[in-house]
Amino acid sequence: MISEEQQDQAALYVLGLLEPREAAAFESELNANAELRDIARELREAAGTVALTVPPQPPPASLKRRIMREIAIKTEEPTPIPQERVRFGWIPWAIAAALAVFCGLLALDRVRLERELADIRGSDPLMQTTFYTLAPSAPAPADAKATVAWQPGRQSGVIRISNLPAAQPGKDYQLWAVDAEHKDPISAGIIRVDQNGVAQVRFKPVEKAEHVKAFAISLEREGGVPKKEGPILLVGTT
Amino acid sequence: MAETSTAQQMRDQEMIAQIGRRDQGAFSALYNRLSGPLYSLAFKMLGDASDAQDALQEVFVQIWSRASTYDPEKSSVFSWAVLLTRSRAIDRLRARDRRLRVVVESTAENKVAEATDASTVESAADTANKKDEAAHVRSLLNNLPEDQRQAIELAFFGHHTHHEIAAQLGQPLGTVKARIRRGLLKLREQFRT
Repeated sequence: MISEEQQDQAALYVLGLLEPREAAAFESELNANAELRDIARELREAAGTVALTVPPQPPPASLKRRIMREIAIKTEEPTPIPQERVRFGWIPWAIAAALAVFCGLLALDRVRLERELADIRGSDPLMQTTFYTLAPSAPAPADAKATVAWQPGRQSGVIRISNLPAAQPGKDYQLWAVDAEHKDPISAGIIRVDQNGVAQVRFKPVEKAEHVKAFAISLEREGGVPKKEGPILLVGTT
Repeated sequence: MAETSTAQQMRDQEMIAQIGRRDQGAFSALYNRLSGPLYSLAFKMLGDASDAQDALQEVFVQIWSRASTYDPEKSSVFSWAVLLTRSRAIDRLRARDRRLRVVVESTAENKVAEATDASTVESAADTANKKDEAAHVRSLLNNLPEDQRQAIELAFFGHHTHHEIAAQLGQPLGTVKARIRRGLLKLREQFRT
């Protein structure tokens, strides 16, 4: 007899939601229990069913060709060199050497171009700015939007919000920078919109954010929180 | 149902066995059968066509490499491929560290620049069947109690741990686990009838 707790664990296991230690313990249990394995199979099939609820989206034409090409490369066996070709065996080596020289020249040119680009970026503030478009997520109004202009070098940015109603009493909107180097989003301050649902403010995250992947706005307790607690209302990447 | 009928499962298993013997024709046929739903899933989870294509490439290369390790006792080929796809998509989401990602609710607005893969263009009857099936499964999911549906969607399409899901729903961990399990089993049961 399988307990409900075991079934719960099985559901989390098939979805890969258990911590590694929990998963290892469950696998031991699974190996010793055929009934539990049956439940796990049922749950896997149920999980497969969930995928069918997704609106159909056809893959592009090129994808199959790309995949078939990769499979063919993986399948290719090394072919023996015919005897008559041995006399000209130096030709591939000569081509390879020429290509190596050519690649070397290309690499040097690339370094030069990257330097030039870095100089241009350094002298033009607009080139140092990254723009993020934030889209609404329930429960924000569908027409709410925000744009962030972020300058990583200065560690500061400007956000413009529109169509976002004022936060209810006792609440505040809080801006977060999602940085690849930080486990949790970094607070970038409280934002208050005017009676027209508009705000334009300059902000600075409380910690250094050098690899910002996204910005988000959540609804938090009045005055803000050190770690995100409330629902996300707007979020977006570059 | 076309995706999981016993006859289809047997055909899928035969294709996997042939792929295990390095049969590119069988691989191509399996791609034609599975790429639509798998790509749709990857696209929904990643919200980006290019990322979804890369994820799907990884999945099919994995199917090619691991076909011989597929275990029919554990799941159907379809569910195996779905869970592989979900897993690859989650890896990508984690790599991006989009901890605040929201589930893309509507893929209809996202235009795919390239033409549809001719090999996946099926007969009108097949396409209609698949649309009917998707609508049917969506209705089954929507028929679940709201709390179960919400827990399943967060668990399946998100890349959160069960602790994070519990925190997000503001519910005790045990409650969330039970909702996921009950919802999945109910969905399975309804799908079969």
